[in-house]
Amino acid sequence: MRIELLLFSVAFAFLALILLLRLAKGPTAADRMVAGDSMDVLVCCAMVLYSLYSGRGIYLDIAIICALLGIVDTMLVGRYLEKGRWFEK
Amino acid sequence: MPKTKLPAVVSTFCLCFVFWLLLTWSFTAQEMIAGAVVSLAVALFTSHFFIHEDAFWLLRPAKLAALISYAFVFLAELVKANVDVAGRCFAGCKDVNPGIVKVPVDLKGDYAEDMLANSITLTPGTITLDIAEQDGKTWYYIHWIDVAETDREKAGELIKGRLEKEIRRIWE
Amino acid sequence: MRIVIDILIAVGFIFALAGAKGVIQMPDAFCRMQASTCITTLGILGVALGGALYAFFVLGSVGTGVKVLLLGLLILTINPIGAHSIAKGAYKSGVRPEKEMEIDDYGRDFHD
Repeated sequence: MRIELLLFSVAFAFLALILLLRLAKGPTAADRMVAGDSMDVLVCCAMVLYSLYSGRGIYLDIAIICALLGIVDTMLVGRYLEKGRWFEK
Repeated sequence: MPKTKLPAVVSTFCLCFVFWLLLTWSFTAQEMIAGAVVSLAVALFTSHFFIHEDAFWLLRPAKLAALISYAFVFLAELVKANVDVAGRCFAGCKDVNPGIVKVPVDLKGDYAEDMLANSITLTPGTITLDIAEQDGKTWYYIHWIDVAETDREKAGELIKGRLEKEIRRIWE
Repeated sequence: MRIVIDILIAVGFIFALAGAKGVIQMPDAFCRMQASTCITTLGILGVALGGALYAFFVLGSVGTGVKVLLLGLLILTINPIGAHSIAKGAYKSGVRPEKEMEIDDYGRDFHD
């Protein structure tokens, strides 16, 4: 049990919360997607640190799944912005 | 659908099984048998998607050495570009001079081009937008946060740096 | 060893802070993408290295450390695909920088 890991974990989660501002404000869809992608990675960092603090391995598995799903939806929205080429055929 | 070949299936199976072992990190018989079955199924269905050339490329010592040296060169470039972009962010985000440049690339093979494009995208400050082939040469379109040079060859030297030579050593 | 772990995680946090500040304050979408690359490279690399060292030497569990390292490597290798896809999608869907660009080869070759 070390308190620094918990502090850093809360700090990463707080950064993700700040990025919510850009997610709400961003003028175009691309801005929102950039903010969402970064939030995903920051939440992964917070989960890794909290897992090491609390000693429960389940958070690591959730972090891996979170990273994979984040990439998938980023790619999907990127493809959709590019004139919806995957959805027309 | 292209035909699946045996070396491709075997190498994909080895990769999947190694990842299974690293992720579970338990060496009892039940877990290993389950991992082998799942890896075999994955290898049978997906091997023709990502292995088109020499399947046991990683086992040649010269290639492996080139890959490891590339990792260190890339890490050095990564840290340099990161410090640059982080400095721009902390200085108030006003010091940007964006532009999209077109850069010639002289590499052979899909894997090499893909690896260079991903390395350029991963380096902060440059993002590869598109790859196009015009009159026999390959061109990358790169968004650059600080355009220091508008001439194509010199901009290519500045962006690619040592990465292109290292990648050419890996994939010949 | 504990000081080394703290320094690694702090370096990751500093780069993540720089990236978040850039995403909030940069003037247009492409520059925000460049700033967000800062988070996904050195931020996650610092956290993964520090966490793996913590798991190896303080917790004493090799499996957890290997898993943390694999998570870092996975994010590092898989993230440029998403960044490239969303940059191309943003350009094709008509996002242009506020400031006039220095040079725009892509718009000249693929205007429509």
